[in-house]
Amino acid sequence: MFRDEGVLMFCIVVPLGYPLLYSWIYNNETVHEVPVVVVDQSNSQLSRQFIRMCDASPDVKVACYTVDLDDAKSLVSRQVVKGIYYIPEDFATRLNRMEQSTISVYCDMALMLTYKAIYQTALAVTTQMGAAIKRSVSGNYTARDDLVSSSPLNVEEVSIFNPAGGYGSSVIPAVLMLIIQQTLALGVGMAAGTSRERSRYSDLVPINKCYSSVGRIICGKSLCYLMIYAVMSTYLVIVVPRMFNYIHMAPWLNLLVLMIPYLLACVFFAQTVCCLVHYRENVILLMVFISMILMFLSGVSWPQTSIPSYWQGVSWLFPSTFGIRAYIRLNSMGATLSDVSFELMCLWGLVVFYFAMACIVYTVEMGLSKRHTTERLEVLRKKRAVRLQLKAKKKGSEA
Amino acid sequence: MKYLNNIWEVAKRECKILYVNRIYGYCMVVFPLLAMLFFTSLMDDGLPQEMPVGIVDLDNTSMTRALGLKLDGFQNSRVVAHYPSVAEARKAMQENEIYGFLYLPKGTTDNLLASRRPTISYYYSQTSLTAGSMVMKDLKTTATLAAMGVGQATMRAKGLTNQQMATLMQPIRIDLHQVVNPWGNYNMYLSTVFVPGVIMLFMFLISAYSLGMELKFGRGKEWLGMADNNIVVAILGKYLPQALIFSSIIFFYEFYIYGILHFPHEGDMWDMLLLIVLQVFSSIGFGIFIFGLMPSLRMSMSICSLWAVLSFSLAGSAFPMMGMDASLQALTWLFPLRHYYMLYQITVFNGYPLVDAWFHLVALLAFTLTPWFVLSKVKNAMLNYVYIP
Repeated sequence: MFRDEGVLMFCIVVPLGYPLLYSWIYNNETVHEVPVVVVDQSNSQLSRQFIRMCDASPDVKVACYTVDLDDAKSLVSRQVVKGIYYIPEDFATRLNRMEQSTISVYCDMALMLTYKAIYQTALAVTTQMGAAIKRSVSGNYTARDDLVSSSPLNVEEVSIFNPAGGYGSSVIPAVLMLIIQQTLALGVGMAAGTSRERSRYSDLVPINKCYSSVGRIICGKSLCYLMIYAVMSTYLVIVVPRMFNYIHMAPWLNLLVLMIPYLLACVFFAQTVCCLVHYRENVILLMVFISMILMFLSGVSWPQTSIPSYWQGVSWLFPSTFGIRAYIRLNSMGATLSDVSFELMCLWGLVVFYFAMACIVYTVEMGLSKRHTTERLEVLRKKRAVRLQLKAKKKGSEA
Repeated sequence: MKYLNNIWEVAKRECKILYVNRIYGYCMVVFPLLAMLFFTSLMDDGLPQEMPVGIVDLDNTSMTRALGLKLDGFQNSRVVAHYPSVAEARKAMQENEIYGFLYLPKGTTDNLLASRRPTISYYYSQTSLTAGSMVMKDLKTTATLAAMGVGQATMRAKGLTNQQMATLMQPIRIDLHQVVNPWGNYNMYLSTVFVPGVIMLFMFLISAYSLGMELKFGRGKEWLGMADNNIVVAILGKYLPQALIFSSIIFFYEFYIYGILHFPHEGDMWDMLLLIVLQVFSSIGFGIFIFGLMPSLRMSMSICSLWAVLSFSLAGSAFPMMGMDASLQALTWLFPLRHYYMLYQITVFNGYPLVDAWFHLVALLAFTLTPWFVLSKVKNAMLNYVYIP
């Protein structure tokens, strides 16, 4: 395995390098200072206050001012800004007349995160300004009166488990777990493809004393992969989160209890999948594209409860689904082992299932290679017999 | 004429290869269709619906119960359980039963009526960003409505008119225009980038793979011979069938999302056709270029897959490019999917003039022409190299 550059690349280089790359991409976690353009037709003290407050907020930056909406639209089209705040002419007038006034917000919906930043900033600023206006007209006597009349109920927002709402903190843990399964499958599949290509009849199992029983083959191979991936997965699930300060709440013992079935399931999964590989490069075509689908099936990008049931069923076939879910809950949400007992059970189930599958696959493959060998042996024997016959004939005729 | 004839001959030979090796059929037709089906059916709802949330109602009065019913009435949330304490609700979150909960402490109603300004809170988890933000929206609206309801009762008692009440409760109203995608539909937002991304991944891989297989099976000389040792003719002939197959797959995809699923788009048919052509040619060009740089099947395919997988992140559709480091922003220029995405969202999605996306158009054209630099290397590889596994 170590002599093969391709396998080496997928089993060592990719697991080491990919997390660093992804962490770099998402290291800013959230978007700040989204550029917007303001069309201020009111041009009043109140409208300027709105603009100032938006500009001062962390998420939005007022990049330009234009005279009308068409100009503003062309700025969005040229990607200079991501949204428009349109303040109508009667904005301040209506407020001063004690009528409800409107600010229009136009968002480029090509990006959800910028849309949220633009909209929520406008919402927060108008709420704050509204509270001040409310206070000024309410005719209260004390500051406490002001507070109670403007917000009779104090609403507290608590974002637990990923308090900053960081994109990286939510996606990277899933990526880390997925990398383990996918690189294992790529590496094992590639090695399997190579052994097929080396063999005369493109058989998976070579004829050799060491390859005499299914149990020996699978256990031996698994032990090798396990040893390498024990190191790799320690790096992925323990070192990387600490290096980049992602949330890491799980004690190492809990992670160990999770990683043992996960790694075993991944190893047997990879050995089952590798029977599909006929040329060593085909495994890349198969596994790389599945990564994207598995990522979405794990319930990180798209909520688990909203995944249609038939895709849920498909997701149960892959160790990564349960591995990712359990890892996120243990490590990012501080769950205990009993909280993820369902996922652990499923993982052990997959271990048994894929071990059985790998045994079946290898039994079949061994049968095939035995048949090919015996056929070859027959052919050779026949040849020899014919040769001997010919020789005997020759001798007979000479005699 | 001779050239055309040669191209035709090479193309016929390529069709035979595509037919014989089953993996081509899977990667060019079956898997792209599968990805199409997967992404569009996964997010068929558009927005996550009926996500489980909980309530910790220690007050248990008619007012707090009404809040619970209100929360349940929202389209995106469903109240699945009532918990006796915050600790239990948090545990339910850790057990993956709910995404968030509303906490109403004891004495909320009493304090509210006595103007003692009680505090209520809502908890949500952003470990899944989509679920977190959706649940947060509903919880926040419920809590805000509760506060408004009290103010409304007081004002009505004072004898204010409806218009005055609306003004006092919300002096400045936001009139939100979600341009082109007014539903905030995630299917229209993600499927339009991820499916082309997957197809692009296959175009990268297949174009490197098919060149590499010539080398692997030692058919390179035969291939060049059919084109009279003219590498341009050989490449044009080889990739003609592939480009046609991929184009028709993408065309079918566009027909499926715009014609059948009715995804919104402001751009017209010609914008889409231009985009299809550019997507196919730039991706195939990139695949050939990478193979030419490293004429080894394994290395070129590894690089192509690395590039394709990274481009999903670096396209900047989920996490915007402006949030990344400056050096990464420059790096995104090297990814065809980034330019595809920009061109798509400027011309097809928003319907802005093509000239505003000129840079990305030129970049995709440049990717199409990159094989020009490595033509001689590819030819040399075919004639002289030996396949090393």
